[in-house]
Amino acid sequence: MDRLKTRWLIFSGLAVVVVAAYLINIKFKTEPSPATMKAYEFIETLPESSVVMFSFDHEASSLPEIQPLALALLRHAFKNDLKIIGLSLFAEGTAIGYDLMTETAAEYDKQYGVDYVFLGFKPQYISAILGMGESIRRVFPEDYLGNPTDNAPIMSGVDSYDDITMVVSIADGDRTVYWVEYAGARYGQEVMAGLTAAMITSYDPYLSSEQLYAVVGGLRGAAEYENLLDQRGGGARGMLAQSAAHLYIIALVVTGNIIYFRNRRRRGGK
Amino acid sequence: MDIGTIVAGLLTLAVFSFLYRDNPVYKAAESWLIGLSIGYALVIFWQTTIIDLLLGPLFTESRYILIIPLILGLMMFSRFSKSISWLSRIPIALMIGAGAGVAIPAMLYARTLKQMSASVMPMIENGSFRIEAIVVVVGVISTLAYFYFSREHRGFTGATAKLGTYFLMIFFGATFGYTVMSRMSTFIGRVDFLLTDFLHLIK
Repeated sequence: MDRLKTRWLIFSGLAVVVVAAYLINIKFKTEPSPATMKAYEFIETLPESSVVMFSFDHEASSLPEIQPLALALLRHAFKNDLKIIGLSLFAEGTAIGYDLMTETAAEYDKQYGVDYVFLGFKPQYISAILGMGESIRRVFPEDYLGNPTDNAPIMSGVDSYDDITMVVSIADGDRTVYWVEYAGARYGQEVMAGLTAAMITSYDPYLSSEQLYAVVGGLRGAAEYENLLDQRGGGARGMLAQSAAHLYIIALVVTGNIIYFRNRRRRGGK
Repeated sequence: MDIGTIVAGLLTLAVFSFLYRDNPVYKAAESWLIGLSIGYALVIFWQTTIIDLLLGPLFTESRYILIIPLILGLMMFSRFSKSISWLSRIPIALMIGAGAGVAIPAMLYARTLKQMSASVMPMIENGSFRIEAIVVVVGVISTLAYFYFSREHRGFTGATAKLGTYFLMIFFGATFGYTVMSRMSTFIGRVDFLLTDFLHLIK
């Protein structure tokens, strides 16, 4: 069988498995991991009107994975009547962050400027993170819509990390590290992360050394969080497809190994 | 169905067409993605850096001190001329100096000192023995031994370094597994979009 045909068969098989898993639509309950549980409990126990900062530090290409976990975290925060300040330290995350926040805010009848505000993007992420330790207004004199930051009622009494309960960095790369190193180490700001699955092992040392408060990781993390919220979103919907795709890949790995060892034996054991 | 959903759905299918073989439809979608990403980033950076931080304050608020970063920024373009390219070394030196000054203490603290202190755990806690404390100590020492090149990897050093490779392999295996999971999630996310928003096959 030529290589192109083999590749086409493998990808077609994966597509069939994923689409079939979606169409079957069995409800898949995911038990929360300790890290997801810790993130949930922190937000759950925060007093009403506590200020949480959401930073959308990711590219547009990771949206399929980022969106379910960002929505789960935002829904929890809005549901508990927390005040949310949104921003982005990654240019591509700016419009996405604004859309996700306004979409979720509308579900809970939250008002822009009063219950949440989106400050937009700031280049030079290290100086932006350090600058907000002194004054958020100085780093963001205007919000994403061009309104003076001072005019937003949510910003009254809020001007540095002293007034922020938690920074939630939604990231697909290393931006969360800078939040930990500059906002966390320098200003003592608590930081938690919503990460793509590919980044989870890179952040484990920060989680183990308690520099990162908690991590909600990948589609699985989103599904766990949705389960805790008793809501069914993109995470829960995707978990059956995720498990089916993993079983399919395991089957391919096993089959590949059987073929490899069989061919090796035929060639005389070498 | 709004126009954004239709465009997103068609582009998603165009990208998936690569799985069969390279084709003009895929190439067009790829070029659009790159062009749009660069164009979007360029507009954002132009507005938030050149306008908001430089030209705006310089001309409307008369903050003439900003002429210094403007000149330093322009010096970077001297690299295009061989005879004056040495001028670009001045802003580069400033950036490296300031960057290192800001980064070194923070990185040393977060990436070295805090990690070292987290590696030292009590072996007995609340009367029970903690196996993970041993695993962490053995893992750290053996992995460091693998990267210790001042002594030949033979005998005890070689055995310790070999053990370190197993810890590294476990890390690489876990990272690879998570990466596969991440890529699958991206694919599943697009299938979710196609089946719900684009084709309305599921609610």
